[in-house]
Amino acid sequence: MPKIENPLLLSFYAHYVEKILSETSNIDEANQRLRDLGRAIGEQIYLNTEIVEKTKANVTTREDVSKLIDVVYKILYDKKPTEVDMKTARGSVRISDKDCVWCQEVNLEGMRGFGYCEIFSGILESILEFKSVDAKVFQEMCRATGADICVWNVRLG
Amino acid sequence: MSKDLERALSKLRFDDQVLGYSLMTKVGRPFVSFAFPDELFPRVQNSIQLYKKDLRLMTIDTDKGLVVLSPVDENWILTVLYVPELQLGLAIAKTKNVLRLLEGIELPPPPEEFDDSSETNLQVLESIAINAASVEATPDAPSLDSESPSAAAEDLSPDDFSVLPSTTPERGSGYSEALSLNSELYAEMKKIYRNFGFDVLLLVDGSNSVEHIADSMFQPTDRVIDLLKWGATKSIIVVPRYEEGSEDDRSSEGGSIGRYVKCPKFEGNLSKVSGDDISIIRLCDGKQTQEQIAKATGLPIPRVVQTLAKYRKLGLKMIGRTIK
Repeated sequence: MPKIENPLLLSFYAHYVEKILSETSNIDEANQRLRDLGRAIGEQIYLNTEIVEKTKANVTTREDVSKLIDVVYKILYDKKPTEVDMKTARGSVRISDKDCVWCQEVNLEGMRGFGYCEIFSGILESILEFKSVDAKVFQEMCRATGADICVWNVRLG
Repeated sequence: MSKDLERALSKLRFDDQVLGYSLMTKVGRPFVSFAFPDELFPRVQNSIQLYKKDLRLMTIDTDKGLVVLSPVDENWILTVLYVPELQLGLAIAKTKNVLRLLEGIELPPPPEEFDDSSETNLQVLESIAINAASVEATPDAPSLDSESPSAAAEDLSPDDFSVLPSTTPERGSGYSEALSLNSELYAEMKKIYRNFGFDVLLLVDGSNSVEHIADSMFQPTDRVIDLLKWGATKSIIVVPRYEEGSEDDRSSEGGSIGRYVKCPKFEGNLSKVSGDDISIIRLCDGKQTQEQIAKATGLPIPRVVQTLAKYRKLGLKMIGRTIK
């Protein structure tokens, strides 16, 4: 599994996080702003990558969603997520990634609840939307704020 | 004013089936006439006397031909003599056509003294109109607010609206009223903008941007913007409101350099596009964003994006550009 260490990507993203944190007053709001950022670029990602060709036209089951997540991972990060869990919780799919691209070498203290990698929630949410899947995605755990692994929850509507 | 009046009347003059016409005052005094037989005037005046205020469109069958009388406004009556063999319905239709032309013109009331049917009367009328306009201009402004409740209720000024060259105006609730020649709104617009207002409004269809409208009329963009902002205060058209809080955002993202967007451009073979998608793909000229395409086709944005994505492998590209 190739590790992505793209200093340009990381610097850009760190810059955005810094800007958003300076403009928001609480963590929920900051998380939402990062998700919004993801949603905003999700459209371009959908239009400029092979996600459409590599996924089924109709994504309906949780298995389909899981496969779509694998495709998104492959295209964005050229790797697989550590785990995609469809069984533990009804109505949602959990994605775990122990080498998350976004929060490499980031250690935040006193920021519990902050999802440094919430941008991916937004990206995935918007791609799912283009696939006509009604879902809310948010980050449950983040390595940047002390967890062992980054986890996103895809709650299917 | 007098040019418009002349244009309307010349429509009659060059009509082979019109023998003569006369623009009369409400009491039946001929003001401007063309080949209207004098002996018919008493008869016309009698009819006018008979109906006075209730006069609507009226026809009189005379030995000279068919006379159609119709009030233009509270001061004026148009009387047209048609050839006897003309069908009644046609005569009425022709008269109504001319009335429609006259509706856009504000005729001042007749002077107290004038020579019947004199050629110079038109000039007299014009000078009255000019005098009236210069006096009216000031007292007219406050009275307008009370007349048009929609404007008074919201009390918006043109500066409340944000119109940029890239803005695409849409039709508002007062749109059709502004385009109907007998409405107050039209008269008001005509007073301020002449025919320019009408011409711009015709191009407002929810897909033409300000820039595009100005270009196709060979008019400065600022002039179009000025008119559209005025139109927005009257709900004739819909453009974004200028939001106070977003002032900073505006200067940073929509500032002088313009906004960076990506526009889809289809360079593949249109014959390979399936029927349902062609309405979207055809608009992919690299100049419109997917938001604009969604608006133009009336489809939701996600649907447009879904469709665009399908055609990536057939030659659809996203092209970055800045719009102002």
